[in-house]
Amino acid sequence: MNLDKIRQWFRSFRRTARTDRHGRARIRARSIYIMPTKQGVVLALVLFLMLIGSVNYSSNLGYLVTFLLGGIWLTSILHTWRNILGLCLSPHHVTSVFAGQEAGFNLLLENPSELSRFGIFVTAKGGSSDACDLAKRASKQLIVPLTATHRGALTLGNVSIHSRYPLGLFHAWTYAHVELTCLVYPAPSTQGEPPTETRYNRSDAGDRGVGADDFIGLRSFRYGDSPRHIDWKAMARERGLYTKLFGGDRNEQISIDWDLLDDPDPEVRLSRLCRYVLLAHERQLVYSLKLPGITIPAGLDEAHKQRSLATLARFQVAS
Amino acid sequence: MKTQTDCIKPEILRIVLILAVMATLPHTLHLPIMLSLFFILLAIWRFISLTIPQLSPGRFFLGLLTITGVLLVYSQHQTLMGRDAGVSLLTIMLTLKLMELRKQRDIYVACFMSYFIIVTQFLFSQSFLLTLYLLCMVVCITALLLEINRTIPSRRLLEPLKSTLTITLQAIPIAAILFLLFPRISQPLWHLSFHTGSGLTGLDDRVSPGSISQLILSPAVAFRVKFFGQTPLPEERYWRGLVLWDSDGFEWFNQTAPKPSNQPPGLQDTEKSYRYEIQLEPHYKKWLYSLDLPATAPQGSRFTADYLLIANQSVNQPRKYQMVSHAGYLTERPAQNAMQRALATPDNVTQRQIDLVENWLRRSKNHAEVVRHALNYFNTQPYVYTLAPPLYLSNPIDEFLFEGKEGFCEHYAISFTQLMRTAGIPTRMVIGYQGGEYNPLGDYFIIRQSDAHAWTEVWLESIGWTRIDPTAAVAPERVRHAIQFDFSGIGSPVLFQIDGGGVLSSFLGHIDLVMDAANLSWRRWIIGYNRQHQSSLLNNFGFDFTKGWEWASLLAALIGLLLLLTTVFILLKGRLKVTPVVRSYHILCNKLARVGLPRRSSEGPLDFSKRVASARPDLSAQTQKLFGIYIRLRYAEATPRTAMLEFKRLVRGFRPRKYSG
Repeated sequence: MNLDKIRQWFRSFRRTARTDRHGRARIRARSIYIMPTKQGVVLALVLFLMLIGSVNYSSNLGYLVTFLLGGIWLTSILHTWRNILGLCLSPHHVTSVFAGQEAGFNLLLENPSELSRFGIFVTAKGGSSDACDLAKRASKQLIVPLTATHRGALTLGNVSIHSRYPLGLFHAWTYAHVELTCLVYPAPSTQGEPPTETRYNRSDAGDRGVGADDFIGLRSFRYGDSPRHIDWKAMARERGLYTKLFGGDRNEQISIDWDLLDDPDPEVRLSRLCRYVLLAHERQLVYSLKLPGITIPAGLDEAHKQRSLATLARFQVAS
Repeated sequence: MKTQTDCIKPEILRIVLILAVMATLPHTLHLPIMLSLFFILLAIWRFISLTIPQLSPGRFFLGLLTITGVLLVYSQHQTLMGRDAGVSLLTIMLTLKLMELRKQRDIYVACFMSYFIIVTQFLFSQSFLLTLYLLCMVVCITALLLEINRTIPSRRLLEPLKSTLTITLQAIPIAAILFLLFPRISQPLWHLSFHTGSGLTGLDDRVSPGSISQLILSPAVAFRVKFFGQTPLPEERYWRGLVLWDSDGFEWFNQTAPKPSNQPPGLQDTEKSYRYEIQLEPHYKKWLYSLDLPATAPQGSRFTADYLLIANQSVNQPRKYQMVSHAGYLTERPAQNAMQRALATPDNVTQRQIDLVENWLRRSKNHAEVVRHALNYFNTQPYVYTLAPPLYLSNPIDEFLFEGKEGFCEHYAISFTQLMRTAGIPTRMVIGYQGGEYNPLGDYFIIRQSDAHAWTEVWLESIGWTRIDPTAAVAPERVRHAIQFDFSGIGSPVLFQIDGGGVLSSFLGHIDLVMDAANLSWRRWIIGYNRQHQSSLLNNFGFDFTKGWEWASLLAALIGLLLLLTTVFILLKGRLKVTPVVRSYHILCNKLARVGLPRRSSEGPLDFSKRVASARPDLSAQTQKLFGIYIRLRYAEATPRTAMLEFKRLVRGFRPRKYSG
């Protein structure tokens, strides 16, 4: 823990690319670090050997080639430095995932200069990275994967932008803070069935029976919908793909309730609840979610599912 | 996700293989044939195995190959040390590395080894063309390193080469500064080569046409001489090494090794004596060098009858000795068997040689006149003194005398000796050095391998053995100046009497002249650049070479300056090119941002203008006009300059205030 403190103290001296109010970090000359790589050190040793050989045999052509390579060695420092200088990194988007899955953080790397850049790497804390080459005045999306170990918010945070181009002799890098957060849902448990006990809600228009006989509306087509339910007429009118929804005037409603589970571990309970939400959504059941202190009223659309999962993800997360 | 240790594509590996082989290929000319075969066969095998991976060697087999390679080197050289064995070993190591080429790390190792091998080539040849070729290889190998550091392979081959050339061009000034200023040390740090028998260590005891002109390329020091008192004139500075008596028509050598005796040969009527001290570099031979003719034998050495100094042990360490020599002398009559040896001619003396000699004999009263006729013949006939004579194969002397007529000192010495012997004049050949370069800093002469020379001695009644240098008849400059290592020296090749046989031949002669001049300046400025040139260059700029700190700070300052210039160049080249219209638009946006209306990066001028208009109705009239002009200027086809200047003026005049209300 003391070591952590020292590390933190050191980190406070770390130069980081400054971020503007849109979260865009621009790499400035003063925030770049540069060090020789293993190959760079080895080449320096080889050059030293060449120099000794040239001195020993007083070979002027030996000197010539040795010094040319020495000049290339020195110049490649500048080229490596320039290769990441002036690049801009900004957060783009990230899609929520379940715990245990890999979250792909989409970042936008811009090259607002007249020089092409090559072999630019963006690496997250865990060591996962993505690389690209950038033509002049071009921008590219990079996807930095990060494994979500537990539910809650997963922030990308500090990433390093680095490159070894042109010759791999030097490693130039800088840090940038990326404010991009991924919401991690609990990992759905692999077993358990949502509560089957259903309640009947009487429709205002009167009870016309349970079933899938009455057309209640349209919604946009999703993969997995039965082709028999597709509104082919709307399709023929070139309105797009729609799925017809059927229902009785009475709908089936289940309650996904924290208190109905008896597992002592709250994480296990959340996993279960997550599975129930997914299953209920899949089976087109209307469901409500009840957690201690939080209740999400019944619903069945995609937004409802997202809201429910987000609630599970954020439930009692120590900030 | 990509990492830098991804497996490398076979195309890249193929290029690594080709480049490494091309960089090593010139070595096959002088490597032992077995090693060359080993190298080429394994490279071909590896090339095939890149297409058919089943054929790649396993780990066990690689181990076997390693042992075979090392044993091969040892069996060919009987050692693993020294220049030749070292290069062989390096080649074998590169070959084995190529066999297990797989990962990115292997590519780096192979490339660095190729760089090293390129540098070792210069220990064997320093020709201009080879240097050009090897520099191309350096650029290609560097381009390969550049290519493997990209994320996506480049589409065209030219792309990485172009980037590499940019880097190389920026490296050249740094390389030039280092080349000019890096201190040249006159003596080697240590000797890696124990008697290799190859030309670089010094003169050999066998001379054939072309053997000395190879040595002439080496600026290595043979010995240094410090005179006490008088200094001999350049044309007196003949450094006697070995006398050669016997020939088979191709080579000159001694059938019996020179026999030293305790009794020094007689020397009469001596005049002009010089006292000096020689510091001899190891040359792994037994003879010592001395100014023509030595009068005293230094400690640990003895005279032979032909005025050679033979040391008791071969010179394997630097050796210092003091001597006295005479420039004027009268030698004793040699023994009868020596006379016979000095008259023997090889079997391949041709009729036209005999005709030539008989012509001289008819016109002369004594031997001295024959010698004069012969020298005159060399002087007036179109003989060319050149560093790169053609190869004479079947009968070297005859071809040189009557067909090629281009030769170096040994060609002239050998043919002169042969012609004199045919005329019945006792003649012997002497090899050694001629001239030397004066070093004013230490007040001594440096005699380099490039000063190697061959001349003759003729027995004339009443004068005794007389030094005759036929080269001086063709190229008198050779004797007065060092051939190419002299700063104030001759600017053109030593070329006498171009045959005026028409426009074409004079044109060809011109090309020859230009080529030879290029070669000569290449030799003088690059190969022959030495400590003396360096110190005179520094002195020209007012720096004292002997002061280490002045030199070091000059070097550091110049390299720092060059790096700074390169940085500025790189930054200027990468700067975003913005038209004046766009620059004015950026100023406009900045002004709006200051009043709380920053343009979003996704917003075009139209959207931004609408947003500004709705947020600040008070500014809308002004901004809409400005944005309108901008859109017209930026996207309309023709943009008059006046309109652009007007836009710039308007933007400058636009002063929005913070919204109050």
